[in-house]
Amino acid sequence: MPQSDTKALEAEKKFSELKNKEEFRRKHAKTKLFIILVGGTLALAVTYIFSLTMGIFPLTFAEALRGVCNIVFNWGPSDTNMGEKIIYYLRMPRSICAICVGAGLAVAGAVMQALIKNPLVDPFITGVSSGASFGVVAITLGGFASGVMAGFTIPIAAIIGAIAAFSVTMFVAEMAGGKAMSYVLAGVIISTGLSSAITLMIYFNVKDYHMIMRWMFGSFTDLSWNSACIIFLGTLIPMAIAFLFSKKLNVMLLGEEQAMYLGIDVRTLKRGLMVLVAVLAAFCVAYCGVIGFVGLIIPHLCRMLIGGDHRLLIPSSAVVGGFVLLVADIFCKTAAAPSELPIGAVVAVLGVPFFLMLMVKEGKRYAM
Amino acid sequence: MLCDARAQGGRSTSVSPETVLRVHNLVFGYTEKNTLEGVDIDAKKGEFVALVGPNGSGKTTMMRCINKILRQREGTVEITGKDTKGLTLDEISRLCTTVPATTPLGFSLSTKEFVTLGRSPYAKTWMWESDEDVEIVEKAMWDFGILHFSERRLDELSSGERARALLAKGVVQQPKLMMVDEPSAHLDIKYKIQVMQMLKSLAENGITVLMASHDINLVTAYCDKVLLLHGGRIVDYGTPAEVVTEESMKKVFDIDVRIIRESGVPYILPSVT
Repeated sequence: MPQSDTKALEAEKKFSELKNKEEFRRKHAKTKLFIILVGGTLALAVTYIFSLTMGIFPLTFAEALRGVCNIVFNWGPSDTNMGEKIIYYLRMPRSICAICVGAGLAVAGAVMQALIKNPLVDPFITGVSSGASFGVVAITLGGFASGVMAGFTIPIAAIIGAIAAFSVTMFVAEMAGGKAMSYVLAGVIISTGLSSAITLMIYFNVKDYHMIMRWMFGSFTDLSWNSACIIFLGTLIPMAIAFLFSKKLNVMLLGEEQAMYLGIDVRTLKRGLMVLVAVLAAFCVAYCGVIGFVGLIIPHLCRMLIGGDHRLLIPSSAVVGGFVLLVADIFCKTAAAPSELPIGAVVAVLGVPFFLMLMVKEGKRYAM
Repeated sequence: MLCDARAQGGRSTSVSPETVLRVHNLVFGYTEKNTLEGVDIDAKKGEFVALVGPNGSGKTTMMRCINKILRQREGTVEITGKDTKGLTLDEISRLCTTVPATTPLGFSLSTKEFVTLGRSPYAKTWMWESDEDVEIVEKAMWDFGILHFSERRLDELSSGERARALLAKGVVQQPKLMMVDEPSAHLDIKYKIQVMQMLKSLAENGITVLMASHDINLVTAYCDKVLLLHGGRIVDYGTPAEVVTEESMKKVFDIDVRIIRESGVPYILPSVT
């Protein structure tokens, strides 16, 4: 039958045409990831050097770049160069912290959104940040956060507080039916409760008010290399682990039961990753205080750019998150110089309109 | 692939002795009361079996017991001769796929990314799909006529297109047994028939299909066997002509029907009073 033969031939041709198109798209996607990662890292590096020029002691971009090169090659600043000393002791750790915290919060947000299947959650909304705050404030007022031990006690208190608050949130939300909205509601209730408890603790310890306020508004001032190293490792390792699980996170988007159809041990995976993101978020807030909205907005921005595949989403969230928070920190250093703006508050003020826009635009689709 | 099964002579009677699914004395309950009370099924390779029963009769529960989402109280489930008690979810996912009626939307997954998720039980590399995976996914998407909108987001698809994407995702899992939960629930009559034809041709290609459905007239037209479930018990299991009768419909659905036979296939005509 010649007619059916031509038909089959045509179908064959159409199929190979479509396949070629797909091949092209696949290459395109990988190119996109490459551009985001390389371009993002370059932008990050330039902004990093730029951030070193900002402050009370002004430096030019060339001076900062030379300073960084000298510091890297000599494994430390020279004793005679004031600029290098300032860069090394004050500005470098600070900017590293800003990048790590931005990246960590964004990745924590992306993972949480996938696990809870709710695009409107982040470490701030699910009570992780408040839990960490509570832990740090409690331990500060208890007097365990001074001297040599502070470097260890503060992050430990933050992690314990974060995991405890997050566990309570998850437990309550699951008990209430595990709907997308349950997590938001439970998180709001837990964080409101914890914030109020913090307020009460401050009320009875007015002398520590200033120190705690600085922490609660979020700030990258006075961070030493020690803290920077702990934040760097504390965010990098969980982020790397989360990245290794990105394929499974894609499957989790189908919901728990349908992920089980595909052979995923949902309960173990969910618990493990929940602890992981709680630890990640805790390291982010442990030294710098509460910075909201980064974990919420950055993953969304990246989804708009590259789609929902976590293999692309997690690395690009990290790069974009780090970049955004570094820029925000530069803004906080310079906008009201010589005094500094609290970065947590600034990010929140800028983040609220974005969040509201997102809710109006996307809220319906996610059937809240 | 999308040949009209009925035009080709209806249900296949080819000899296929290999038993893919064997359920013996399955008992399960969410509470103390049993939802399933001693269910036995025997489905051979390439059989298209329909699960028919009123709401709450245990159709979905039975599927959940077979793919080990739920643990049965008593009885055994064997897929290709292997007892599921000794299998992990991962191992089961390579034998049996479950196609849900609908899937959560939101999050910008493209249709192709969605179908590709079906390959995850076979993932060898932890990052990218192998060329083989890509090949399988594109073939399945082509067969179901959804390759040309692979970049479209899942929530932008119509119900019919989404149903086909769900089936494609099930097929790329390369199962021996495919359980489909009400695939035609939200579709218009044209898509209903299209989905039935797709499932029928999957069965002809050697996949055992177990489908829960409320469309009795489509079931009798396309399925090899009908399993009539009522109150967690099997009322009857056999060919549509044997199972779908005035008496059984009265017993299970409590409705009066008239059976019309068209070239041996029974169709029900509910008497409206």
